[in-house]
Amino acid sequence: MDSQDKSFSGRAYRLLLRMLPFEFRGDFGGEMEDVFRDQRAEALRRRGAAGLLALWSETILGIFRTAPREHLAILRQDARYALRRMAKEPGYVAIAVIILALGIGANTAIFSVLNAVLARPLPYAHGEKLLQVQQVAPKATISEMQFSVPEMDDYRRRNRTFEELSEYHSMGFTLLGQGDTERVRTGVISAGFFRMFGVTPALGRDFRAADEQSNSPPVLLMSHEYWQRKGSDPGVVGKVFRMNDREHTVIGVLPPMPQYPNENDVFMTTAACPFRSAPRFVSNREGRMMKLFGRLKPGVTPEQAQADLAGIARQLEQEYPEAYPGERGYEVISTTLKDEVTRKARPMLWLLMGAATFVFLIACANVANLTMSRLVRRERELLLRSALGASSSRLFRQLVTESLIVAGLAAVLGVLLASGGMELLRELAARLTPRAREISLDRSAFLFAFAGAALVSIIFGSLAALSSRSDLSRRLKDGGGYVAWRSRRLSLQPVLVICQVAFSFMLLIGAGLLTRSLINLWMVDPGFVRQNVVAANVDLNWARYVTEEDWRNVGARLLERLRSQPELLSAAVSSSFPLDPDAVTYRPWIEQFDADGGPPGVTAAVRIVTPEYFETLGIPILVGRGFEDSDNDSGPLVAVVSLSFARRRWGEENAIGKVISRRGGAEIATIVGVVGDVKEFGLNRDTPDEVYAPVAQHPGHVGAVLVRSAGDPAATIEAVRRAIRDVDPEIAITRVETLNQTSSDSLSLNRMTTHLLSLFAILALVIAVSGVSGMLSLSVSHRVREIAIRRALGASASNVLGLILRQGMIQVLTGIALGWIGAGLLTSALRELLYEVTPTDPLTFWVVSSLLALAGLIACYIPAARAMRIEPHLVLKSE
Amino acid sequence: MKSQEPPMEYNQPLTPPVFQVLLSLADGDKHGYAILKDVEEHSGGEVRLNTGTLYAIIKRLLAEGLILEPRNRPRAEDDDQRRRYYRLTPKGREVAASEVERMERLVARARDRKLVRKPRLA
Repeated sequence: MDSQDKSFSGRAYRLLLRMLPFEFRGDFGGEMEDVFRDQRAEALRRRGAAGLLALWSETILGIFRTAPREHLAILRQDARYALRRMAKEPGYVAIAVIILALGIGANTAIFSVLNAVLARPLPYAHGEKLLQVQQVAPKATISEMQFSVPEMDDYRRRNRTFEELSEYHSMGFTLLGQGDTERVRTGVISAGFFRMFGVTPALGRDFRAADEQSNSPPVLLMSHEYWQRKGSDPGVVGKVFRMNDREHTVIGVLPPMPQYPNENDVFMTTAACPFRSAPRFVSNREGRMMKLFGRLKPGVTPEQAQADLAGIARQLEQEYPEAYPGERGYEVISTTLKDEVTRKARPMLWLLMGAATFVFLIACANVANLTMSRLVRRERELLLRSALGASSSRLFRQLVTESLIVAGLAAVLGVLLASGGMELLRELAARLTPRAREISLDRSAFLFAFAGAALVSIIFGSLAALSSRSDLSRRLKDGGGYVAWRSRRLSLQPVLVICQVAFSFMLLIGAGLLTRSLINLWMVDPGFVRQNVVAANVDLNWARYVTEEDWRNVGARLLERLRSQPELLSAAVSSSFPLDPDAVTYRPWIEQFDADGGPPGVTAAVRIVTPEYFETLGIPILVGRGFEDSDNDSGPLVAVVSLSFARRRWGEENAIGKVISRRGGAEIATIVGVVGDVKEFGLNRDTPDEVYAPVAQHPGHVGAVLVRSAGDPAATIEAVRRAIRDVDPEIAITRVETLNQTSSDSLSLNRMTTHLLSLFAILALVIAVSGVSGMLSLSVSHRVREIAIRRALGASASNVLGLILRQGMIQVLTGIALGWIGAGLLTSALRELLYEVTPTDPLTFWVVSSLLALAGLIACYIPAARAMRIEPHLVLKSE
Repeated sequence: MKSQEPPMEYNQPLTPPVFQVLLSLADGDKHGYAILKDVEEHSGGEVRLNTGTLYAIIKRLLAEGLILEPRNRPRAEDDDQRRRYYRLTPKGREVAASEVERMERLVARARDRKLVRKPRLA
């Protein structure tokens, strides 16, 4: 045992023994070496090299079999011991598990979302080859101007980089024949659209080129969701529905998949859409309504495709200068579908991931502190076990095992918490990306949680164990070394406390900035009065209302019915209304106008309204007049413009009597009034320049009904429904709610983001404050004797209070200072999510600082007050 | 001795290597290498131990109190100073004996059912 075998075989055997647990080697290693040497000698003597070879292989096999069993046995023993110990400290275990679980849970949940939305490839065949092509006019601030039929034909014919270019637009149509009148969201697409995406119908067949020929019988594909809503009829293929007064045959059902750009109930080919197939529309280069998607040819990069498209755009500009006025800065851009699909979600997801990471870090720092405090309390036990012969590596392993158990429990609880929060996150993500449906708590999220927990446990376990391991033996010999050891270990704790405070400060700043933006958004003057207004989106069957006379009549009858209800103060019919989700999401109506005296080709939002529209919505008429009943088809065309439209065109000049024209002068209207600006497309978006025209002169645009009433909103909603039904039971009411609700819904994304971040920030605050308090309590309990001596030497209770408060508050304030720096560096990433608040908003920074300092002060006061109550004579007598 | 009853797990048959180690210590204290050789010899090569399996068994038997390391070493002329010796405890002896009884019962049952070959002539 004492003389080590220096031969090659001896060394090789020692190496082999390293597979066994340390304790096992310590107990039997030397002896095993001896036995093996004897075995070797005998094998060689008896059977020579063959014997030696047999012995080696047997021995190697034996150790390989023994090692795992021995390790497992020790682990089991450690775990049993750890569980026994932990049962004696349920408080510590519960707190550590809960805090870690919160950190792990938040991270797992957000990670699941991030992974599903940003990391995984699109669930389409070769999704990386799919591009969205867009026309933009940055100088005219049109971020997307869509494509017209002649433009798409040009791009299809002239490009050399795309295998296929497919078009898409979405409309609402009325579906008849299966019970209720129903409006269905309909995607109108090229026949090759789904083939291009690599999507094959789950039932039936895909569109064929023949389905897109004019005069071909109209056919429909159902989305999976719509099919399920309709009862998952397996025999749906071949069923006939009436739409636009034509028979449409269902030819298939799509598989479940994220739909981009919008969710649709059914799909039809361009030939079946009465608008898209109208000859006047097909030949109109400026009738831009469609989106364009393409699949790259093999080997073509997105950059090459972009160059190809840009070349075609230049040609078109030269060939049709009137359709692409130079001052609009016309361009064509292409983005990969994946970027496009996830663009809106990206900043928010990264924000949440960052916040969750902060919570995790704070949780880790807090639990590390807890673990170390606990180790201080346990030092006597550890020293005793060490004295009784436990090797330091054994103690190390013991401590790591305990941390692993805590982390394992935390991971399980964390995953439970995460799955609880999944629904909320999915709802949030659904507002930002069609990929939300792909979000689930998946295997990689589980792995993520357990990896996180394991990492944490190893860090804590080793932190705690390392500090004990290095000193244990020395301290045994030198009992007086306790204090020095303890204080050295404690020196890491203030750092951890400072980190917790700094990270929670940053989270609180983030939450504070978002809260301020949300308040700003609530306070913003939308330009109309939200209270007591009910708005209904209606959808008329295009096939039944054909002539202008039909439309004029239905508008007039609707108004008449509404006005006959005594509780309604005023009523209007219009094409759409402010914040109307349909107009915002699907088709904001924006057109180019030529204004006399102003620059030609200016863009404005268009709204067709009845005279009482302005009164109903409380939009002030600033100059001139609103519409009157006399502004009808027999009178001259008139228009009302928004203040910003008037200002932009004519400055301070009076706009009344000026003339604007659209469609290249085909329609000329005289301005009769100027009204206030309205936040049409979102409270956080700029007010667009706007042109209003009377329904009586532009029939065919009955899309919404608005009423103002002093009564109960629920009763008003019912009255509106009744009035519409009375006029024509086949009018589909797609949405009816108060404008307050619409306005509130338009902020739901901001609200949810703010709530989530605030939740994280509050969690962080609670954890950090408990960390400060816990650390200080521990410090007080260690300084009892010192404090007693100070008191005995004449220090007053308030001196002691000050001493302890100072100790704690130095850490809190240092944390705040570091957090201030960190937040200053990081909050610019929030810019996109803020409204009228700068990322370094001083008010937020000062309020959060004071709040955190106050919370810190309270946290410090509890242990400080305890220190104050220390009775010097009692403490010193007991010593 | 608190209880003569062998521990629960020994109501199960002992594995051949464990039994062989106990058996080898039945006639006196031995060190590891001696156990190894004795087992190999007396089992007719049927049970072959290697250092890994042997010391895993020794560790277990020590922990369960079936063997111990005696304070008094063997007689001077037999004592190899480098080695650690192992001795069967009364409990170990008891466990080994009940294993033998179990085997005997097994053999008796086999005999009853005429499962035993007639002794062959040399």
